[in-house]
Amino acid sequence: MSGSEKPKPLFGKVLVANRGEIAVRVMRTLRAMNIASVAIYHRVERNAVHARFADEAHEIRGETPVAAHLDADAIIAIARSCGADAIHPGYGFLSENAAFARKVAAAGLSFIGPDADTIELMGDKISARNFAAAHGVPVAPSVQAQDDIDAFITSASAIGFPLLIKAAAGGGGKGMSAVRDASELRERARIAAGEAQRYFGDGRIYAEVYVERPRHIEVQVLGDGKGGAIHLLERECSIQRRFQKIIEEAPSAPLPEATRGAICEAAVRLAAAARYKNAGTVEFILGADGRFFFLEMNTRLQVEHPVTEMICGIDLVRTQIEIAAGLGLPLSQSEARANGHAIECRLCAEDPDSGFLPATGSIRLLRAPAGEHVRFENALEEGQRVTADFDPMLAKLVVWGKDRGEATGRMIAALRQLTILGLRTNIDYLVRVLETPAFRDGALHTGFVAEHADALAPAPVEARLRDRILIAAALGQRTFRDAITLVEEPYASMAGWRN
Amino acid sequence: MPLHLALDGEKHSIEILRRKPHLVLNVDGRIYEIPEWSAEPIGEMVLDGNTVAVARAIEDAGRETCFVRIDGRTHEVVLIDPREEFAGHDAARDEIHAPMPGAIVSIHKSAGEQVTRGETVITIESMKLQTALAAPRDGRLRDVLKKPGETFDKDELLARLEPADEA
Repeated sequence: MSGSEKPKPLFGKVLVANRGEIAVRVMRTLRAMNIASVAIYHRVERNAVHARFADEAHEIRGETPVAAHLDADAIIAIARSCGADAIHPGYGFLSENAAFARKVAAAGLSFIGPDADTIELMGDKISARNFAAAHGVPVAPSVQAQDDIDAFITSASAIGFPLLIKAAAGGGGKGMSAVRDASELRERARIAAGEAQRYFGDGRIYAEVYVERPRHIEVQVLGDGKGGAIHLLERECSIQRRFQKIIEEAPSAPLPEATRGAICEAAVRLAAAARYKNAGTVEFILGADGRFFFLEMNTRLQVEHPVTEMICGIDLVRTQIEIAAGLGLPLSQSEARANGHAIECRLCAEDPDSGFLPATGSIRLLRAPAGEHVRFENALEEGQRVTADFDPMLAKLVVWGKDRGEATGRMIAALRQLTILGLRTNIDYLVRVLETPAFRDGALHTGFVAEHADALAPAPVEARLRDRILIAAALGQRTFRDAITLVEEPYASMAGWRN
Repeated sequence: MPLHLALDGEKHSIEILRRKPHLVLNVDGRIYEIPEWSAEPIGEMVLDGNTVAVARAIEDAGRETCFVRIDGRTHEVVLIDPREEFAGHDAARDEIHAPMPGAIVSIHKSAGEQVTRGETVITIESMKLQTALAAPRDGRLRDVLKKPGETFDKDELLARLEPADEA
């Protein structure tokens, strides 16, 4: 390569149809690839970090900020008028919207993600499940009861126990029952059908495999759109609250090699069969008995993608851009090797001690953790208001270690060092999760947070610490400080104490 | 006059005992010598011979709250406005107004009942802290405008006394 000449960038300009940490993260890679970046923002986030970080920023309008970020036509119009040649959707918002992907392509722009047809196929639970089953990817077996109850007993028993009986029209646990062996199946089915009729006016029931203490294991895949696909190992996302992940890691907590291999192989088979293009994630549920079942495929970059990047030494956004530009897969399966262990924590504005209710406030003090192998993925700054306009996730903290123990220790240290003051966050709660012996042992499942609720409650503040906190708070109060430093003896008036 | 604070729903008071040669504070009757402290958001204080690293920030979330981070753990301290000490003692002396936004926990007196000055009429909760609102003077309670569980904004009228000349 001749010394001074830079290779031509893959795209001239890319619009990032997102906000917050993921917009900044995508733009950072664009910058490294010598590609100009375009941000979009609603007026409530006019001075947001992502809008300032971009090479140019354009306002989008909408009744709510979220509605603005979902306005496909307006976003595509901005991309065209500013001369962008591709759109990166990030995650959430329009990232898995097939109509958007189709419109982007119709406007003559590149969509940095899979084809619209693939998004559509995987976006529908039933078509995705049927497609997976047709290509030999395990799906949770289930059987619907017909009029012939004996036939139902036979076919349901064939799935194996324990089983879950559910109302076909149901929800909210009504008509739902766990059955542990064949002897009680007939009676439970009769009761469940009766309950289903009573609650939903529809007595149809079905039986499906009951996965006890399930783990959430997902596989990062890359596809070239022509049937070529590889995996970049799995991630474990079993630590969840309110059905949303809060701690993810790669590779997973201890997992038998054979199971890991089978899960990754199934994910690649699915991606290849779908002629999947770009980066995607195949999610599975893994039972304590080693059986695993397809949950869904996410046809986009995941929130937790950095843990895969850290163990594989790869920039997934760069890879996405290369594939979208037609370069194909950047590495072969045998070149995809993992090193060490990575953990991500999602830092959320919420109150873990009150049902994880979202919290609002302002970021009054912000200090990022320092150190090697620590990534603080954020678009935060002091003074920023945190409102209910957007998702409560504030930022992500990602660390790498040579093994799971080292990564856990590094994460705890980084979380304790991280300072975000001015609103309630889950930072201290995350430390408590990581410090539980069960987490250290890798005894993870999606009910972990509920199972260990008592151990995860904050320890009471002992007397000495309490007084230190009170003194620190008093000295943080300007009028109190003034009473110490400015006012003549003997006594200062404490009136009008607000600072 | 001491500064009143609340931590985990418990009220505390801090009073300056001495300023020179170094600061001495009285925390709920416990005496602390603080030869060194910092006014910065992130700094150290020396307390009983121990150096304690502190980060803190004040946010006005309906009530002024100081977020204090010590030893990798954040605590919320509510700063109690001295005016709350006189909560309900309006200039009009006939009305009890909300000193801050919150919710009614319990109502201790009913309409028509006789009340004496300083007697608790309503208990409210705001930012996890309960506060008793007292009668501003002797008299008869005319009405309470909220029910337990109901929320209200700062300065909202919560209860009224019968005019003084009828008492």
